[in-house]
Amino acid sequence: MFSKHVAEDLSAYCHGELQPEESRAVAEHLIACNNCRVHFEEIKLGVKLAERLPQLSAPDSIWERLQSQLDAVNKDGPGLAGIRSSISNPKSEVRNPKFRSRFAAVAAGLLIVAGIGSIWFYSRESRPFWEVARIDGMPVIGTTRLAGKGRLAVGQWLETDNASRAKIDVGTIGEVDIDPNTRVRLVETRPTEHRLELERGRLSARIWAPPRLFFVDTPSAVVADLGCAYTLEVDNEGGGILHVTSGWVALQLRDRESMVPVGAACATRKGIGPGTPYFEDASFIFRSALTKLDFEPEDPSASKIQLLDQVLLEARPRDSLTLWHLLRRVEGKDRERVYDRLALLAPPPGGVTRDGILQLDKQMLERWQDNLEGTWSGASSLKRGWIKIWTHALGRIKGQQSKK
Amino acid sequence: MERHAAMAEPIIDERVIEACCQGDREAFGLLFEAYKDRVFSIAVYSFGGDEAAATDVTQQVFLKLMTTIGQFRGDSAFTTWLYRLVVNACIDEQRKRRRFLPFGESVSMRRVEDRKPQERRFARLEVAGSVQAAIKELTPKLRMPILLKYVEGLSYEEIAAVMDCSKGTVASRLNRGHRALARKLSHLKDEVV
Repeated sequence: MFSKHVAEDLSAYCHGELQPEESRAVAEHLIACNNCRVHFEEIKLGVKLAERLPQLSAPDSIWERLQSQLDAVNKDGPGLAGIRSSISNPKSEVRNPKFRSRFAAVAAGLLIVAGIGSIWFYSRESRPFWEVARIDGMPVIGTTRLAGKGRLAVGQWLETDNASRAKIDVGTIGEVDIDPNTRVRLVETRPTEHRLELERGRLSARIWAPPRLFFVDTPSAVVADLGCAYTLEVDNEGGGILHVTSGWVALQLRDRESMVPVGAACATRKGIGPGTPYFEDASFIFRSALTKLDFEPEDPSASKIQLLDQVLLEARPRDSLTLWHLLRRVEGKDRERVYDRLALLAPPPGGVTRDGILQLDKQMLERWQDNLEGTWSGASSLKRGWIKIWTHALGRIKGQQSKK
Repeated sequence: MERHAAMAEPIIDERVIEACCQGDREAFGLLFEAYKDRVFSIAVYSFGGDEAAATDVTQQVFLKLMTTIGQFRGDSAFTTWLYRLVVNACIDEQRKRRRFLPFGESVSMRRVEDRKPQERRFARLEVAGSVQAAIKELTPKLRMPILLKYVEGLSYEEIAAVMDCSKGTVASRLNRGHRALARKLSHLKDEVV
């Protein structure tokens, strides 16, 4: 069923050291193989820890001691052999103040020039960036209008007006279309994490990387890619709506998480976080009752009990996605009613008990979820979506290579 | 990591290296300024935060550089040549120190609070301090590729050239190093993820 396990390639994969074909094979394998995904999480943690090593500053005394030793050699003229022997005795110093002060002045001048050059070079060229291409109108990066192609560096904003659109290449792992009236910022791009901030507007992302490498921060939730394509929209109040067109996406705010498969959507609200995911072909009554239940539970025009009744009554077997998420979000009698309806639509597997689920037993919830996932997305359609995205990506990479 | 490499490239070109070969002290000053922090960082992490040992090794490396740079023929990148000196100096120094270390005592076993003030500077952040201690516990074969990758920002090919091994070996050692760090410091997961 699985291709060769990839545990040994995972560091090279994280560091972008594999060929595009190899990288694709690793990503595909990680989607299908739980075992290698566990290894991947471990390697990713190791990489993130190692990235915390700061570069340190050498003490100035080293240069002073070096100069003293070189001065000693200069005065006595013993040649390189003399310098070599002085290594073992760093304290032996014969100073030449006149030469030292002249040399120090020249060296200091050169170092200042070099330092300024370095800062200029770094700030101009070395910040990590993504390539951006204009599609329509005149998108703006920072304060610069984008006429053709440009670079979005970490920390910079990309903004489109009502007539502009742009396309971002997310390193080698995907692409993002930016629609009109949108404002996004590149927060981070590293082998273990790529992160955009969507302040307002709409974007469409297609990502061909293993789960949880690409994130979008919004005012009301963090969107984590689980190998997918999706459209994400944020309004002026910070609320949002996610539509998944391939694979899976996770939405998270603090301890509230929604898993959204292909064909489903999920709304978010500032201060509340992600709502309950639902399939977009669910009935209108189901969707509007769910929205009120998620975001307007205190609305006097409809009681919470009535809203939950409407959701349960309208639910189809496929809407077990919504009911499974609701189990954690309602309490007491409401949770019992959700359980009973869900068990009727999709009976729990062996070993999963009513009491266990009502007490939110983690293992039982996960076992039931595993059982239900086939109804929500279907492994075959997930894989088909992946292969489609990857084939597209590989074609683009090969195209770019042949141009070079 | 790329940042540091990028900062050095415009300063240290063939002319500077050539001037160093001719014994030009000003050129040597530029070379020292470009690489001192990187050499020192590798040494500090190799010796578990012991600044005094790292200072000695950094000085030895630059003296050796100055005395042998005439032998540099440009067959490999200058940085490869330099980092070979660094790696060898760290390993030699560790061998020497191991010989004189009383049985059962390890520099890395000292608690952060027991360290001198200048050593404490490197453990200000708990994560950085813990990573540093965990790296000290790795064998040199696993430690050096980690340092060359994360402190120097070298590619697998460059690390392979410095360590005189294949890219596959580098990948394998980094894999083992990452795993060892993750297992030793799994309690810090929430701090870094």
